[in-house]
Amino acid sequence: MSYNKPPKEEEEELSDVLLSATEPPWRRAGGGRMETWTPNPRAKPFVPRQQRSLYLTWKYKLTNKRTIRRCCQAAAVLFLLITVIVNIKLILDTRRVADEDAAAREYEDAVPNMETPRRPASGRKVLDIEVYSSRSKVYMAVDGTTVLEDDMREQGRGIHVIVLNQATGHVMAKRIFDTYSPHEDEAMILFLNMVTRGRVLIFTIKDEGTFHLKDAAKNLLKSLGSQAALILSWRDMWTLVVKKGGQVYGEKHSKSPALSTWGDPVLLKTEVQLTASEEAECHWADTELNKRRKLFCSKVEGYGSICSCKDPAPIEFNPDPFPNSNVLSVPVAVIAGNRPNYLYRMLRSLLSAHGVNPQMITVFIDGYYEEPMDVVELFGLKGVQHTPISIKNARVSQHYKASLTATFNLHPEANYAIVLEEDLDVSIDFFSFLSQTVHLLDEDDSLYCISAWNDQGYEHTAEDPALLYRVESMPGLGWVLKKSLYKDELEPKWPTPEKLWDWDMWMRMPEQRKGRECIIPDVSRSYHFGIIGLNMNGYFHEVYFKKHKFNTVPNVQLKNVDGLKKDAYEVEILSLLKEAEVLDHSKNPCEDSFLPDSEGKVYVMFIKMETETDTSTWTELAKCLHVWDLDVRGNHRGMWRLFRKRNHVLVVATPISPYSVKKPASVTPIHLEPPPKEEGAPVEQK
Amino acid sequence: MPRVNRTVVLTLLIASSSVFLLFQLYYYRTYVSKQAGPHILSRTGQLTASDVQWTVKKFLALAQRFRLPMFLADTAALTLLSQDALRQRDRQVREPHCSFLCTDRPITSFAVHANLWKYDSGFLLAVEQKGFELLQLRGEDPRLASLDNLSGEDIPLHFLFRLNGYIIQVVFLYERSGNYLWHGALRLKANRDRSFAPFKLLDFGRHSGAYDRPELVLTVLDGLDIQVPRNVSHFLSEQQHSHFLECRYRDARNFLQLYPDDTSPTAMDFHRKAKSLLHLAARTLKQLNIPFWLSSGTCLGWFRQCSIISYSRDVDIGIFIADFRWDIIAAFRDAGLSLKHKFGKVEDSLELSFVSEDVKLDIFFFYEDGDIVWNGGTQAKSGRKFKYIFPRFSLCWTELLELKVRVPCETLDYVTANYGSSWSIPVRSWDWKSSPSNVQENGVWSRAEWVELIQVY
Repeated sequence: MSYNKPPKEEEEELSDVLLSATEPPWRRAGGGRMETWTPNPRAKPFVPRQQRSLYLTWKYKLTNKRTIRRCCQAAAVLFLLITVIVNIKLILDTRRVADEDAAAREYEDAVPNMETPRRPASGRKVLDIEVYSSRSKVYMAVDGTTVLEDDMREQGRGIHVIVLNQATGHVMAKRIFDTYSPHEDEAMILFLNMVTRGRVLIFTIKDEGTFHLKDAAKNLLKSLGSQAALILSWRDMWTLVVKKGGQVYGEKHSKSPALSTWGDPVLLKTEVQLTASEEAECHWADTELNKRRKLFCSKVEGYGSICSCKDPAPIEFNPDPFPNSNVLSVPVAVIAGNRPNYLYRMLRSLLSAHGVNPQMITVFIDGYYEEPMDVVELFGLKGVQHTPISIKNARVSQHYKASLTATFNLHPEANYAIVLEEDLDVSIDFFSFLSQTVHLLDEDDSLYCISAWNDQGYEHTAEDPALLYRVESMPGLGWVLKKSLYKDELEPKWPTPEKLWDWDMWMRMPEQRKGRECIIPDVSRSYHFGIIGLNMNGYFHEVYFKKHKFNTVPNVQLKNVDGLKKDAYEVEILSLLKEAEVLDHSKNPCEDSFLPDSEGKVYVMFIKMETETDTSTWTELAKCLHVWDLDVRGNHRGMWRLFRKRNHVLVVATPISPYSVKKPASVTPIHLEPPPKEEGAPVEQK
Repeated sequence: MPRVNRTVVLTLLIASSSVFLLFQLYYYRTYVSKQAGPHILSRTGQLTASDVQWTVKKFLALAQRFRLPMFLADTAALTLLSQDALRQRDRQVREPHCSFLCTDRPITSFAVHANLWKYDSGFLLAVEQKGFELLQLRGEDPRLASLDNLSGEDIPLHFLFRLNGYIIQVVFLYERSGNYLWHGALRLKANRDRSFAPFKLLDFGRHSGAYDRPELVLTVLDGLDIQVPRNVSHFLSEQQHSHFLECRYRDARNFLQLYPDDTSPTAMDFHRKAKSLLHLAARTLKQLNIPFWLSSGTCLGWFRQCSIISYSRDVDIGIFIADFRWDIIAAFRDAGLSLKHKFGKVEDSLELSFVSEDVKLDIFFFYEDGDIVWNGGTQAKSGRKFKYIFPRFSLCWTELLELKVRVPCETLDYVTANYGSSWSIPVRSWDWKSSPSNVQENGVWSRAEWVELIQVY
């Protein structure tokens, strides 16, 4: 605040105040009040007094009576004396008050420092580090505290890395790179490059960590200061403690004597000198955002340029709002576990989506994990931790229930909630998509949810970002849940902890779905990037999720949204069927030539499906089309809609679908049998 | 000669006085204007009307700048506002410009709709720059309190701003799922400054409280634009009886560990029906403006497991006989319930039962008698009367099944009186005539009265 130019309001008050304090009490009643203040010549501090003394002189000259003159003079002297005394007292008073205030403020400042000592109480500046590497067990201890211990069988193979803060000794990141397997060394290079210079890195190998450790990775380890990196080989044991871009604190290596045996276990004990905290920090501008950044970067590592000193990645995105959003005050629940890097990516995409309202986002973390909470706080969002109940799928299911209940408790005025998971990207027009469709949930009782995900929407089968479908399966993966559905139907009978059910499978059961449908886009508004997870692995992701189409076009205006209501949609489908050209059913539907080389046309094909459970033809077709084939999804009354070679194709299950009446009598529905020998690889769903 | 001297003295004094005044002005600008109010200038140390107004105005200006969705919740000020115009005129003579905000306490309370407020550290910074000292009180988020074990960030409950000994209390009202507003209790941590404010004089914070969402009007009080509740007297009476009790979720979780909830379809069905019946009863009685509380099994269910006891088969509520009106029966009928039986009379042991979707709503009327409170029971076939005795209690708000309802504040005493000290162990076979530990035989209705006093439909 500037002292030279106080705001106008204060100037007025000031003169007002001066007047009332220096004037005798009888004058005060008439003094101006701030709200009724009108400019008044009397308000100027000493003009009135001047006038008064002039008046006295004038009176003295006029009357020339000695006694009166004396009295007047005495009165004037007295008055002036009082003025002086009052002023002196005032100055003393103000000085005293100002001093007191200053003292009080100093006291306040002192309090937090006393509570949170910057340095560890012991005042030690050296860390004792122990690292152990062997075939069946690894551990790391910092100052006697075990920060890593892994002696589980068949688990934790590869190079374990821990990053310590060089000023505090806190563990900032913990990773395993299974460099026995391909490509993991690339992930390790990526990670090590992201770590800020100056951090302390601790490496150890469990079981085997060199089979796919390529030269690039070995060279990087060498450049960090490792002597043994280049000679590391099959079943060697190895530990290393090093400062990134600095000294090597210790390294131990034991060679494997033969192919069939492991090297002897190695135990490395060393000391690490802690540095001053100032050296470990970047000097970002002192803003609210950077305070959060600083806190985050002092705790964790492995988030790339977010902690770069020179040019840090933004943590606030301010995407464009869009006018008249219907979902601005709809709460967003992000369901998370302990995958902080995923959560980081997810929240970045969420906060970059047009029309996002960060106020409404709550991240629900299943367990008391620190790092996901750090990520949530980095973005200034609200995080809620939940004590895990039960195991495996039931744990996820209980977490979902607790999160949904809490979402509606936190936002009692909300009629819907947007449900997201930590391993999803959301598209730039995610909220616009929902804003344009959310009213359907209120206007159409036959709807169950609005989902951003099309199970069948792959790169080669989805085309039109403005097109919507109705489907009988609940896709999840970014969806809108209506409060009344949750409160009246789902919450009371949600699977109890002892039932090891998937919540989404449960929700898809006919008892819950009751014949209702979901609205989905042709081109998904979410992208599932999670590779590790309860029902997920790299292979599964590669086959079913990687090639999913994801909308990147902003502000898509959806086509004919009200045409998605129950009856209107039937009219729409019938007109599509009428327009559709019947494909040549004598050709092999798996061949590309099954479809003519046209563009933008509508075709229809009929496949055999005698009963609800007779899914073999669809499954085979789905397999050769490379879409979701693990169960029947994305259908509406026995019909699937997708794109092939830029043409819209309707696949009608005959005779189970009511649309099969449109089948010309001459056409025989396509029938496909599964190949006699099944691969037998059980693949889990999700 | 003496004449000249006097003139010189006079001139000198005038000059020195002018110098002092100028110095004062300079001093004020550089040191005082940045932080202090007119308090400094008042020699007695007492806050004058203009000081109060000045402080409040300063705060309101900031609140407006940062768009705090705030309204005046000060009981003293609102009381002045609610009283008739005559007294208002009286006061105007005394304090012409500060007739509402200048109460005899050095406190003004405001309430903020926390859901509408976006946390803005700029506001607190600006307030501090204006010289206010701030005491922030945070606490657990009650909206996360449930049978699930969740924990989130602490939420702001109260802000106390102090300027020259004058306190502005800002209480945060949170919207909760029973369609009501909640504020937390003001509790100081051990290391906090206990002399920051006259905490005993604060309107809000002794207990947590529950309020209906007030309709607000913008008005001008003492020349300041302020939002106030439209129905001031309703707000004030709510404030008197706003004490809110949180369900004891931790104990309920422990209880449910020992005795898991019945999740059979019949239990679910009862749960759903009981919930809608309780909502209906609350709505109906609210229209009649009759306070009621959870009694017997329903009260036990809330107290023990924060829910309904699935095998209890009915919903029990209590009403003080003083609040009885005959149109209760008509009102429930209009709401779609049918009267199942009516026992006793207004003077003695009145009890009404309604039925909706085969769930019974029992309304027990409570009679005050010295330091006890009792309600009656009647056995239809024999005409025997029973009396259930409770220690006196006051009423508190709580939340059950997404509904704001009352329970006896002294719930433990109430439940213990009714169910004995082993209330925490479920008993499935319950005989209302002998099982309660507070039941007493109370004679028999005379045959002649049966037609009138034992009506079963």
